[in-house]
Amino acid sequence: MPSSVELIQSLVNGVGIGLVYGLIAIGFCVIYNASGIVNFAQGVFVMLGGMFAYSFLVQIKLPLAVAAAISIALVAAIGVLVQILVIRPMWQRKAPMFAIILATLAVQLLIEQIIILTFGDQPRTYPEFTGGGPLKIGDIAIDYQLFWILSCGALMVGLLTLFFNKTRIGRALRACSQNREAAALLGIPVGGMLMLSFALSAALGAVAGILITPTQYTSYSVGGPFGVNGFIAAIIGGFGSAPAALAGGILLGVVQSAAIVLFGAGYKNVIALTVLLIVLLFFPRGLFGGLAKRA
Amino acid sequence: MAGSEPMPALIEVDGLSASYGRVAALKPMHLRVEDGEFVTVLGPNGAGKTTLLRAISRLIASRGRIRFKGRDITALPTHHLAKLGIVMVQEGRGLFGEMTVYENLLLGAYGLGHDGEKIERRFEQVFQLFPKLRERASQVAASMSGGEQQMLAVGRALMAEPKLLMLDEPSLGLAPKVAEGILDTLGELNRKGLGILLVEQKAPLALKLARRVYVLSSGSVRAELPAHEIKSHYDLARFYFH
Ligand SMILES: Nc1ncnc2c1ncn2[C@@H]1O[C@H](COP(=O)(O)OP(=O)(O)OP(=O)(O)O)[C@@H](O)[C@H]1O
Ligand SMILES: [Mg+2]
Repeated sequence: MPSSVELIQSLVNGVGIGLVYGLIAIGFCVIYNASGIVNFAQGVFVMLGGMFAYSFLVQIKLPLAVAAAISIALVAAIGVLVQILVIRPMWQRKAPMFAIILATLAVQLLIEQIIILTFGDQPRTYPEFTGGGPLKIGDIAIDYQLFWILSCGALMVGLLTLFFNKTRIGRALRACSQNREAAALLGIPVGGMLMLSFALSAALGAVAGILITPTQYTSYSVGGPFGVNGFIAAIIGGFGSAPAALAGGILLGVVQSAAIVLFGAGYKNVIALTVLLIVLLFFPRGLFGGLAKRA
Repeated sequence: MAGSEPMPALIEVDGLSASYGRVAALKPMHLRVEDGEFVTVLGPNGAGKTTLLRAISRLIASRGRIRFKGRDITALPTHHLAKLGIVMVQEGRGLFGEMTVYENLLLGAYGLGHDGEKIERRFEQVFQLFPKLRERASQVAASMSGGEQQMLAVGRALMAEPKLLMLDEPSLGLAPKVAEGILDTLGELNRKGLGILLVEQKAPLALKLARRVYVLSSGSVRAELPAHEIKSHYDLARFYFH
């Protein structure tokens, strides 16, 4: 049996990774709500965020804030590019949804290959944003990076909530998620909103990647697992609001970490999917019931 | 009068047709609404009324031409129409159900941009027409009664400052009294100069307001005539089943 210190330590770690899952989950929700598309390339944005940040920080030696800002902007631009080159042509030709979703999976593989060819296949990482950690509380160690993840995650959710509720564009995005035809009839450019949703979720993915990389590493292949876990978090949260997705992520992160301590790392995904099944059995629309409530 | 050119119609469709797969839901048809005119399209279930309005709104692909004030708008995408002044109230109302009444109305004014004062004025006008909406401003749209929802749908369309308002069976599912209230409001708006293209299945109320009527059946226009003629002479069923 693990000690209580080990358990608490795992919970702390779980909150950190869970917040990152939550950010990825919000990215899934933003695109899904605007279009009905599940973007399986979401994890790739996380990987790219980490990769670009590594290049700008370690190789070009830019200051953290600048490196992060450029990385986020670049990944957002890639998100827009994916929408313009892949999603929009299919969307306009009224391709069936599963074909579009499959295409996002292809985008993930394609981008991974491009990264192998340009950045190589080596794992990379960079130091935590604030050196000197971890913070010790008794026998429990808390990485300073966790505080960065917490505060950036809270900031993101706060900004997104403001954006979706208080701005004209944010409201228009929500309108698209509830009734695309009605939105278009009122003059809202639905296609432009879809592009914006890709930029937004790519940027969110990049933020997640930049935040999490110092606590582990990034490499061309981390996108897949991040994507899957973010997707699970989105389903647990109910594909509704940003706070719900974040809560779904934290729950998943904490359960995964506890599972590692209790049953060993090999059971991490079994436990994660078991949690998903249990949640869906009792709450078929996710914990916060957003899924399938839409028109 | 100076020019010999006749005033172009507010909206004019020319040889408009649409199909779903191989089913021709709308056969090539002509229809026009003059500036400030109230026109009703009557037809039974499946006549192609919704198809007609959706084709004009560019929500479905179609053949033929559509002109708005003489300008060919056939190639425009749906979201350009509101800015020109063409707004449709969809069958089933098309509200943003999880949003409040206030947010729905605000989205109606999306095309007005950031002009806060103008938007305020629109709110005032809509609230005067439908005082219920002011009381319910913070209520979630989906939780309102059918009649209130229809008021909201019309109110939201009015926020966009339309010159042509198209409505797809606004009386559907409403108690006669409530439907009458909404249609009376449409009449009031029309007297102030708003062009209206109303699609209905039930004749009496819609005919009271309209100046001209098109009778649609199986995707074709069976008759086009002044509204008062239908009231006095015609049995609509004759058009429907021929
Ligand atoms: N999406 C669709 N796919 C295939 N056929 C359709 C579709 N929508 C409508 N139709 C068919 O086109 C014809 C016209 O339909 P439409 O909805 O325009 O009729 P309507 O006059 O609005 O009827 P109602 O009064 O019931 O609303 C009908 O025969 C209908 O079955
Ligand atoms: Mg209809």
